[in-house]
Amino acid sequence: MSTLLSLRNLSIQFDTVRGRLNAVKEISLDIESGESVGIVGESGSGKSVLSRATMGILHGGNVHKSGDVTFDGNLLSGLSAQELREFWGTGMAMIFQDPMTSLNPVRKIGTQIGEALRIRLGMSKDDANKKSAELLRLVRVPDPDATLNKYPFQLSGGMRQRVMIAIALACDPKLLFADEPTTALDVTVQAQILELLDDLRKSLNMSMVLVTHDLGVVAGHTDRVIVMYAGEVVESAKTTDLFANMRMPYTEALFKSIPTLDTPTGTRLPTIEGRVPDPTQENPGCSFASRCSYVQEKCRTEHPPLTSDGNDHHYRCWFPIQVRSTL
Amino acid sequence: MLKKQPISVIFAAAWLAILLFFALFGPFLPIPDTLHSFEDSLSVGIFSQGHILGTDSNGYDMFAQLVEGSRYSLLIAGISVTIGALIGSIVGILGAFKQGIFDRIANALFSVVLSIPNLLLSITLIAVFGTSPDPSNPVPPSRRLIVVIVSLTIVIVPILGRIARSTAISWSNRDFVTAARSMGMTDRQIIVRHIVPNVMPALMAIAFLAIGVVIVAEGSLSLLGAGIGEKTTWGSMIARGRSDIEYYPHILFVPIIAVALTVISCNRLGDQVRRNLDPREARL
Repeated sequence: MSTLLSLRNLSIQFDTVRGRLNAVKEISLDIESGESVGIVGESGSGKSVLSRATMGILHGGNVHKSGDVTFDGNLLSGLSAQELREFWGTGMAMIFQDPMTSLNPVRKIGTQIGEALRIRLGMSKDDANKKSAELLRLVRVPDPDATLNKYPFQLSGGMRQRVMIAIALACDPKLLFADEPTTALDVTVQAQILELLDDLRKSLNMSMVLVTHDLGVVAGHTDRVIVMYAGEVVESAKTTDLFANMRMPYTEALFKSIPTLDTPTGTRLPTIEGRVPDPTQENPGCSFASRCSYVQEKCRTEHPPLTSDGNDHHYRCWFPIQVRSTL
Repeated sequence: MLKKQPISVIFAAAWLAILLFFALFGPFLPIPDTLHSFEDSLSVGIFSQGHILGTDSNGYDMFAQLVEGSRYSLLIAGISVTIGALIGSIVGILGAFKQGIFDRIANALFSVVLSIPNLLLSITLIAVFGTSPDPSNPVPPSRRLIVVIVSLTIVIVPILGRIARSTAISWSNRDFVTAARSMGMTDRQIIVRHIVPNVMPALMAIAFLAIGVVIVAEGSLSLLGAGIGEKTTWGSMIARGRSDIEYYPHILFVPIIAVALTVISCNRLGDQVRRNLDPREARL
């Protein structure tokens, strides 16, 4: 497999009224073609900012970006929006969290799918219509031809998310960012959408970055998981390896806060006490120190580097959890 | 879009259509000249022989005046609202979408103009640009007309500009704009295809309201003697009818009822246009 996307020391900062906010700190990662990578973290961990910044669609004068983004052999950092646009839709595409607000309410589904085809691929109206119906069939929307003439408000949330996926796939992207694609949907629909994304990724040989706060979503649908906390990568490993051997206390805490069927009724679900540290403040120690149950003196004063266990499993912790299984 | 409409909307549209018909074709219809005085029938009431809406105290036919008035009132309102809506929406939408210094300056200007009382602003402009200090060399009527239209346009621009801007801001931050950008659409394509169709319903509704506002504003200007002068407008008819209210109230009521009906019709139609442009409501 070849590397499709590579980030080197990508940092994103925002100017806010309270000073400079470090949203993403020095992130380096590689995504192979055909690979599915999950980015997990709680609200404010920088996962959405990371995916938007990678594409380059963060806009506004208060964004500061540093580091290199290389996509498919092209260095994207430093390109103007005009030049970046060449990669949007055709190289990288994104689907968004809330299918209720991601479609234009006053325009028909057909126009919205066809738009990308006509503008980016220069298709005629008829061709775009045919291709749109085909895309809807691909994302398993029942009765695609009738759906083309509907407005977003006439579709359910799950159907709208399918339409969003169809739009994102319109120009045959090599990399699909799915930014919390199932968060706004109910559980049964979530499973269907994840299943669909999985199938499409395999059949279209696409890479996918699945951004979510839900470790459960990541479990069955990714090859590799990156756990983010306070704008940093705190753990990254093969999905199976991560769930077997969590090294970083934060990952473990996240995992423990997922309800399971075998916890006795009436048990309080563990939560992670405290809050994400203020991203406008510099913190000398580990960013998770204030909430970690294994915290030691060193954690508060020295920032842990990202260390490897030699097995492509990286973690950012001074006192990692010992490997429990010796499989 | 032109499916079953409420009866009030049909009446409103019919009234405006009739007005538009008389405004456009008035000169070709067998209507007495507005300046022809019927000296043997001064101030006759409505439905009199030969004068369906009566005559005023100078013997001028009220219907003829109403028709000429509708021409100028609608002309002034139509032009100033159209130009005002164009300028306001372009400035408002661009500002909202691009943000930054342009938006801040435009918004500050809107605020400044909005803070000045409309009538005061219009009268000042008309006094400065639409009058002549030399009574033997008055400004030509066409120039006076243009000054009145421009002064009313200046009043309308910030009202519609504000609406366009605030609506556009709320739509510019929606995910579908980010989604369109992430599919490689240019800012221009996003504005034309995604922002404008969403801003239109609100803007149209307010623009129709503004037509009513301008008709009333022009009436107020005429009442205060700062109207377009020579030609009859509804406002100048009301101004002249004032003095006859005790003995010949129809001279005052005829133009007032015309103004009221037109303003109500515009409001009703504007509301309906907004509903029809919004697919969610149109389908209900």
